[in-house]
Amino acid sequence: MKSLLVEVCIGTSCHLLGAQDLLQAIEEFVPENQAKLDIRGVTCLKTCGRGPNVRIDGQVFTNVTPDYLIAVIQSYLLQEEELLCPK
Amino acid sequence: MVLLHAEVGLSQLSKTGEELCGDNVEVVRTPTDTIIVISDGLGSGVKANILATLTTKIAASMLKRGIPLEDVVDTITATLPVCKQRKIAYSTLHIIKITSDGLATVVEFDCPSTFLKRSNHVIVFPTMEKVVGGKVIREGQLVLQEDDIIVAVSDGVIHAGIGGLLKLGWGWQGIAQQLAGETAKIIDAESLSKQVIRCCQGYYLDKAGDDSTVVSVKIRRPLHLTILTGPPADRSYDQKVVRRFLHQPGKKAIAGGTTANIVSRVTNRPLTVNLDYHDPDIPPTGRIEGIDLVTEGVLTLNAAVDRLRSATMWNQQDGASQLARMMLEADQINIIAGSAVNPAHQNPNFPVQINIKSQVLNQLLTVLKGKGKQVSIEWV
Repeated sequence: MKSLLVEVCIGTSCHLLGAQDLLQAIEEFVPENQAKLDIRGVTCLKTCGRGPNVRIDGQVFTNVTPDYLIAVIQSYLLQEEELLCPK
Repeated sequence: MVLLHAEVGLSQLSKTGEELCGDNVEVVRTPTDTIIVISDGLGSGVKANILATLTTKIAASMLKRGIPLEDVVDTITATLPVCKQRKIAYSTLHIIKITSDGLATVVEFDCPSTFLKRSNHVIVFPTMEKVVGGKVIREGQLVLQEDDIIVAVSDGVIHAGIGGLLKLGWGWQGIAQQLAGETAKIIDAESLSKQVIRCCQGYYLDKAGDDSTVVSVKIRRPLHLTILTGPPADRSYDQKVVRRFLHQPGKKAIAGGTTANIVSRVTNRPLTVNLDYHDPDIPPTGRIEGIDLVTEGVLTLNAAVDRLRSATMWNQQDGASQLARMMLEADQINIIAGSAVNPAHQNPNFPVQINIKSQVLNQLLTVLKGKGKQVSIEWV
């Protein structure tokens, strides 16, 4: 199975706005899910004013909180994309 | 022409029972010259220290401004306070000036002759007597080569062990023999000075009878470091600035996420980020092939300034410590600073220092100059 690419911005703004909490939340995420994730750091996602920012599978999410991030990752993993794009 | 760097290493020993050393050393670096002034004040302790410090400070600040030697010697003899018991104002004066093309000028007034070490041979640095301001001084000039070492000592080193372990003391020849045994290519100036002082301490049987100072100056090629921080104000300069950065000699560091992205884009080399937080206050480092260090920008630079100012030892692995270590290892540091402003950094909730990059770079400049580095900042 292809792993889900999660890119966490660790640039100055995102660092100050809590990027480290996001990485910690991913670390504490259920271990069996860890294998399904490809976690990477990036230095800027060009939306510094709305950080912390995360790019998941190519889509940029802004103002991300740890709980929100885990929910998004879970929904991706469960392929519940309709939750992310409510009609 | 190959430009040379004078690496200065100092080691001192105070007379037993004294907290302050009566010898003083002042090192001044200008864009082209390294000037070292050594002085041994009359007596020991506070009084000697004041005399020696006055001498070195006056001489160094005058020489830095290019004032002729005659005036320097005249000023020092006219300014030093007079000793109440001996009714004289006195301290020795030893000046070593080395230009970036290797021309060394040595001036000695009442101090032991300077040692010149080339490979395994040690000789007296050639000087001639000259009368300046009514005082007899010795002055000499010589063009030095890479790996040559000049060593200046105070008389406390010459007399080490006198009347005790050695009847007549260690002596100039004894020190010369010790210096000759060291491999010039391997040993650095600091280690050489420390080694001579350790021997000196040994001959004194750990009870130094006089203040002892050893200053070694090793001539070598300078170690360069170029730091690129911040994108240029005009995006159209990105490629030009990155190309110039990559063509700089020596080590290269990038401080800034966006800057790292630009370098990665221009060079077509991927940027990978290491997600280990060695210090929660400092964002992690990155990696680009061919670049020695990639860090975040302003937070890391601020922390690096703090590390450099700190008197305690630091050996952490975070980006700021690595950057600070790299700066300490270099002799000439060139900072290429982009003047683009990141509007997101103007957030009033962020620490105030991140808004003013020029301020942190000026602080960095001051602290590095204080450590004897030749630093330049170029805004793009």
